[in-house]
Amino acid sequence: MQLTGLDLLLWVAGLGTHLFLLGVLFIRRRFTTFPIFTALIIANVGRTATLYLVQTHGSRASYFYTFWSLGLLDTVLQLAVVYEMYSLTFRPLGAWVRDVRGGFVRLVIVSVAVAAGLTWLATPHARRWMQVVVIKGNFFSSVCFSELFVGMVVLAVKSGLPWKTYVARISQGLGVYSLVDVLVEAGHSYFGVGHNTQRYTTLSHFRMATYLVCVAYWIIMLWRNAPPSRKLPENLRGHLIQLQSMVNPALVRIRQERTP
Amino acid sequence: MNIRTILFICAVSIFIVTLTAIASYYLRRARRSSKRDWEQLLHRLKNVDRNSIAEVALDIIDESGQRRSDEGSALLEPSEVWRLVGGLDGLEVLEANCAVLIDLVFYLQQWYPEALTAAEQLRLNAREIEWNIGRLRSAQKTGKLESVFVMYAQPAVATYYLMTQRVLAIYEQGRFAMLPDLRDAL
Repeated sequence: MQLTGLDLLLWVAGLGTHLFLLGVLFIRRRFTTFPIFTALIIANVGRTATLYLVQTHGSRASYFYTFWSLGLLDTVLQLAVVYEMYSLTFRPLGAWVRDVRGGFVRLVIVSVAVAAGLTWLATPHARRWMQVVVIKGNFFSSVCFSELFVGMVVLAVKSGLPWKTYVARISQGLGVYSLVDVLVEAGHSYFGVGHNTQRYTTLSHFRMATYLVCVAYWIIMLWRNAPPSRKLPENLRGHLIQLQSMVNPALVRIRQERTP
Repeated sequence: MNIRTILFICAVSIFIVTLTAIASYYLRRARRSSKRDWEQLLHRLKNVDRNSIAEVALDIIDESGQRRSDEGSALLEPSEVWRLVGGLDGLEVLEANCAVLIDLVFYLQQWYPEALTAAEQLRLNAREIEWNIGRLRSAQKTGKLESVFVMYAQPAVATYYLMTQRVLAIYEQGRFAMLPDLRDAL
């Protein structure tokens, strides 16, 4: 496989920005709050380095298998990052908020159904069946991710749960990237991969450039400090703790006695 | 270009536009609510007759929120509860005010993240009120509103009453300067 100057530039820029982001995550100790997101960035660095080595020293087949195995790992880690963002938003007191569970289940069902429907409509032109599977698989996952991130915003706002600063920034970056990725994967499906792969490659470059912008955004946002908070007065802190323990049994009793 | 490809392009376009519109709407809504100042928040509170609310609530709970079991409890007739609450319209006003009560604690939470516990509790209370009002709306559709009104309305009012007391207590304990305004509004 011949790499162009632009391919190499995007490759080097990807590695550089990921290393930079990793530095920010460790120097500012954000990795303690976002261990899965940090793992995704580490995996991306490892993936870039591995693919470069396999591309320069390995065979075409070994590159193919390495590329798709690491791609699968990337998708799994992205799903885990979605879980991490949901967990940080919808577990404000350490347990999943009960009233969001139903909405979350509906969101997952609708997301998968819509993604499956759109993927079924896609008819990519390709020389091998494997390429069709890859294009359709990428399209399906990009639609699912974009729905999950937008769904998270909707659920958080509707249930009145505030977004923590860094959760909002990471989610916004991933959400925007997922939406652009839907367009790119739709383009891949529409143009397909025939003998001329120029359009496919251009769209892939566009996706990589968008991702680099997202990584740059995370570097800036995760480096900055979150708005400072003041210390709660001791009497108010005590009152809040007391309130929590006092009110719960009363509410349970009212619910049980006055509702069927 | 075959029909399926045309459908695919249309469906993806609709999907992208819809998702972008939903995300923009909710992000704007979240930004608006986090930037509201104190006066705007109080302005959103709708007028309710606090004496009537207290009378309905204290018929089944005491001031601490405990369920009453003495002989003088649960004496209000359904027609009295309906009149004091103002029917389903009155409950809908309380429902709207619940969102403001949560915002009031969220306002506090911007400076004091520990107030999250209280905000979460109020949020659950608001959901409980929504649930009760939802049951009443369903009953209205089937013509059974009056027969089940007390069953759902009185717990909703009691929860609302506790919510207002809790928000006032939080501001009182913290000795926040805006307490007099809040007391007037509630």
